[in-house]
Amino acid sequence: MKKLDRLGWAEGIGVQSFGVYAGVRVSAAGMLPQILPLLPPGWKNSRRTTVQRLYSLVVPQPNQRAGLRRIHILYADSERIARDTDLDQVLAALERDLHRYVAEASPDMTFLHAGVVGWQGRAILLPGRSLCGKTTLVRELLRLGATYYSDEFAVVDNFGKVHPFTRPLGIREDSTYLQIKYTPETLGASLGGKPLPLGAVAICKYKAGAGGKLRPLSAGQGALELMGNSIAVRTQPQRTLRRIQKLVEGALFVKGTRGEAGEAAASILNLLSTGNSGEKA
Amino acid sequence: MKERQNPKARMDCLAREFGDELLVYDRERNVGHCLNPTAAAAWKLCDGKTSSSELATILTRQFSAPVDEPVVLLALDELSKAQLLVESERPLRRTSRREAIRAIGIVGAIALPLVTSLVAPTPARAASCLHNGQPCVSPVQCCSGTCGATSHRCGA
Repeated sequence: MKKLDRLGWAEGIGVQSFGVYAGVRVSAAGMLPQILPLLPPGWKNSRRTTVQRLYSLVVPQPNQRAGLRRIHILYADSERIARDTDLDQVLAALERDLHRYVAEASPDMTFLHAGVVGWQGRAILLPGRSLCGKTTLVRELLRLGATYYSDEFAVVDNFGKVHPFTRPLGIREDSTYLQIKYTPETLGASLGGKPLPLGAVAICKYKAGAGGKLRPLSAGQGALELMGNSIAVRTQPQRTLRRIQKLVEGALFVKGTRGEAGEAAASILNLLSTGNSGEKA
Repeated sequence: MKERQNPKARMDCLAREFGDELLVYDRERNVGHCLNPTAAAAWKLCDGKTSSSELATILTRQFSAPVDEPVVLLALDELSKAQLLVESERPLRRTSRREAIRAIGIVGAIALPLVTSLVAPTPARAASCLHNGQPCVSPVQCCSGTCGATSHRCGA
């Protein structure tokens, strides 16, 4: 870390997000405007001199000798976490790691890996790992009039309410791995602001051509699934279980495979409207 | 060596109630378990002093429905497989699901004991992973589990 500290740092920023303090410093001036949109939603400036995690972005010097590869390197504390000639890829790594760190270290909130929308004053959670089709389903729910809360994290407070984490949606087009960012506004969706009680949890995985059927789950089984998508359960098990217990009070749970997102989204909204968890997806 | 027959629940696990079900988190192994009402009721009674036949009597009273010993043994078997009991030096008597179903009857008043388990994810596994073509420095960052040694990109 001392070696890194000795490099010349042109500018930096200290931020506070969900009770976590982090810093970002860069080796070239004028880069902060590119970094600010990557910070977690709702971040605030912090004047603390010490932070829990410090990101150091080393960018190639303009006067670098010709013929050398222009490599950008990103460190989290003293660990190198990205190295690439493409600055956008390194900035994406910064965003991903910072968001994950906040999710892991937040003392105020429990983060679950899930898409979240608001519907009739209640939150719908779509937990699941990468590539299970969460964001596609979130987009369809928004198209049907739901309010956008997140496509990555359900943020749960001590009272079991779900807070927004309204970063732009990362949508993969044509089944490729490349994500294109869309702000919810460009999709015609409204942004959620108020913390919501949980209404329903749909744990569904996309299967091409599958008609899909979602089967109901008990509260205990549903809570176990949420635990399996919790970022900090290993480090904060007591707090995580307590918040999950508060979260699931009165919620409906369904699990299964789904077919096309439009049909599944309509079924999920119907589930919340009717309170019937034996819906087809 | 002293033999212990009476099952004892592990006390170092975190437990939270969800209606009649119980979510138990094993901090040592980082595994979560959902105990259905029958398994939950049995686990709570495992104090190391109560025998399986006594458990059957107590559960019968609790559920206001007959709970025979094969059902209790099946519950203990499920709990033991999930490592939620203090290890006894002599294995617990085992029973089959078939025996337990026979004891309950086709339309049982109680559900067969069931423990569902899930390994708790590490923070990196729980959050989104990197897709092919994205820069990486370690295979654990990539969804594919492959980080190119020279390209420093996932899947390459």
